[in-house]
Formats: sequence, C-alpha cells, structure tokens
Amino acid sequence: MEERELISRVLAGDPSAERALYDAHVDRVFRLAYRMAGDMDKAQDYTQETFIRAFSRLQTFRGDAALSTWLGSIAISVTLNGLRKVRRRNEREVGLDDFTPARHTRPEADPDLKTRLNQAIDGLPEGYRAVFIMHDVEGYTHEEIGATLGVHPGTSKAQLFRARARLREVLADFAKD
Amino acid sequence: MDDRFDDLLRDSARDYNDPPDTPREELWQRIVAARDAEKAAPKEQTEGVERHRVLPFRRLRDIRPNRPLTWAAGIAAVLALGIGLGRLSVDQPATVTTTAPAPVSPAGPRVSGTAYRVATTEHLSQSEAFLTLFRASVRQKGNEQLASATARQLLATNRLLLDSPAADDARTRLLLQDLELVLAEIAQLSPQPRSRDLELIKEGLEQGGVLSRLRTAVPAGTSATRGAL
Repeated sequence: MEERELISRVLAGDPSAERALYDAHVDRVFRLAYRMAGDMDKAQDYTQETFIRAFSRLQTFRGDAALSTWLGSIAISVTLNGLRKVRRRNEREVGLDDFTPARHTRPEADPDLKTRLNQAIDGLPEGYRAVFIMHDVEGYTHEEIGATLGVHPGTSKAQLFRARARLREVLADFAKD
Repeated sequence: MDDRFDDLLRDSARDYNDPPDTPREELWQRIVAARDAEKAAPKEQTEGVERHRVLPFRRLRDIRPNRPLTWAAGIAAVLALGIGLGRLSVDQPATVTTTAPAPVSPAGPRVSGTAYRVATTEHLSQSEAFLTLFRASVRQKGNEQLASATARQLLATNRLLLDSPAADDARTRLLLQDLELVLAEIAQLSPQPRSRDLELIKEGLEQGGVLSRLRTAVPAGTSATRGAL
C-alpha cells in the first residue's frame, strides 16, 4: 500500500491502517529512542508518546518529507524533552566539560575504548549527541537529520564535526595510537 | 590519523545503547490503551490545558503582513529575546545553538523564577504575534523565507525555555511542546511552498488550538512587537 493511501485510510479512521502505519515505522522510532535514552522503559514511553502525537496530528502532515522523517522529528522532540525532564528531576547535569580527558590512562584494548566512548557520548551536549547518534550510529544522512531536527544539513555536518572533535579530545590517548 | 580515528569511532559507537528487539505488541497495546483513555476523558484533559477555550475576538486590522519592516521588527525582537535568554543561562557552552540547547546548570548562578516567567511571557507573546501574522499572510506569496527564518529563531528560544525551569509548569510545558511542532513545520517551509502546505499549517494551528492557547497565556499588552505589528 502506498504511503499516501495509508495516511488517507488512517485519517478516515481505519484501525488496520493505523496498525500498518505503526508496523512500518515503529522499529526506526524505537531504535532512535533507545539509542538516545539507553533505557527500555524510557524508550517505550517515548515511542508510545511519538505515535500518540503522530496519530493525533497526522492531518497536519504535508508530505514534503517522508513520513519516516516527520515521525523522526516528533520522536526526537519527545525524546529530548523527556530526557530533559529526567535530568531536571535528578538535578544532575552531565556536560561535556565535566569530562576531563584521562591523559594518564593507557589504552589497553577495545573493550576499554568502548566503555570510555560510551561515557564520552553520554557526556556530549545533547545537540551534538543527537546528530552523532543519528549519523554515526543509526546511519541517517545529513539531509534526513536536517529535516528531522529542523536545521540545515550543513548545520548537521558542523554539529557532527564538533561532536567527533570532542570525542577525539576525550579519547586522546586512543587517538594517538 | 583523524580519518582512521573517525572510522574507529564509528565502528565502536555502533554498540552504543544497542537496542533490543522492538516490543511491538506490548507497545501497540499501550498506544491503543492510552488513546482510548484520551478519548474517554477528553473533558478533563481539555480543561487541564485549556484547549478550545472560547477567547475574545481579536481584530487583525492592525496587521500589515506585507511590510518587510514588520518582519524585521519581529526578527529583531526574537533575537533580542534569545540574547536575553542566553544571558540567563550564562554557563551554557556557547557552541550549542541549533538543534537543542544545553540545559541550564543547577550549579550556575541562581536566576529568579520571575526572570523565567518574564522571558516565557515575552516568548509566547512573540510567537503569538508571529503566528497571527503568519496565518494572516498565508495566501500572500513572498514572505516564506522570512517566516521560516523567524520560526527558526523562535524554535531556538522555545527549546531554551523547554530546557529551563520555565517548563516546570505542566501547562506551560505542554504549550511550548505543541508550539515547537508548529514552529518546526514553518521552519522547514521550502522557499516556494505549495498553497496546500501553507493551508495545512494553518489548519494545524487552528485544530491544535495553539494560537488560542497562546492568547490565553499572554496577558494583554505584553508584546514588545505589538506596536510594530
């Protein structure tokens, strides 16, 4: 079934079309939410909220971009808002500046790199982190990221460049080798 | 060296928060249940956020949508508000400006709740003026790029506010979240949008009640741009 036809049927109140739309996009939304949140409960909450919002606003979908991009922009908005709320609640901020490069740590093996890389990604400012995850982890193009985040593709490229630079700085010991 | 390290980064990052299989059925059941609950209790919800509230009629005769100065004044005011907000959150990294701002540090200088309330009111007022102008000029070509640029500025401010204590209030947060989606749609307008696209944004504005809720949230006479509009 074509996307446009599927949307028309959802708007007409067809429950099987709603389910078909959900099935077609839930993996991508859930993966993005999980990558961003790193937590099953939160990822499920954000995915649920994304689809509830999407179904209630589907009549505003203009079809300029793919439906997946439109859903992605809702998912990223819901996820970032949810994570901000959690962070405020916990009164805890993990900013990149809190990450001092471990200059005296010897890189030993890949597992160590992965642990430190995960910590470093966690510590990226959220804008950089979102772009890094979407591009380098989930394989979105800059055009898709730009459309999803409401920025120009060039801005996405710049954010990714800066994110990688920050990660290189934090993982300087590994970069030397 | 940098390229090799970037390749290593990408390879290693693929395991970052590696998602398990999507719990499709469980999630679908949750979505269905939540939507059913929403439909069953529309009254309570709409009362909670004052959706669809009947508002006093506001005349649009002072709006002059085609005047470039009007848009320029709006953009200038939005920029000024953004700078003001930036100063409120002085400890943010200066480079985070586009997709989503860094949070206001709880360890940073204390800013009174009044400052955030004033900034929020000003932002909502700017947004209301902008959306009113946008809605009124939907049928007139030529302002899309300015509208898109203004929406991007407002979007940045909106995200700053969502990230600040201003969003602790549930009603304000809901309004800012809904506003974010509308602004994002306008920000993504192509230079020559189809009439239908503009109409759909306009319909979305009306159906979501965003403009009405903005008017409810903004006390009369607070907009810095109202004189210009």
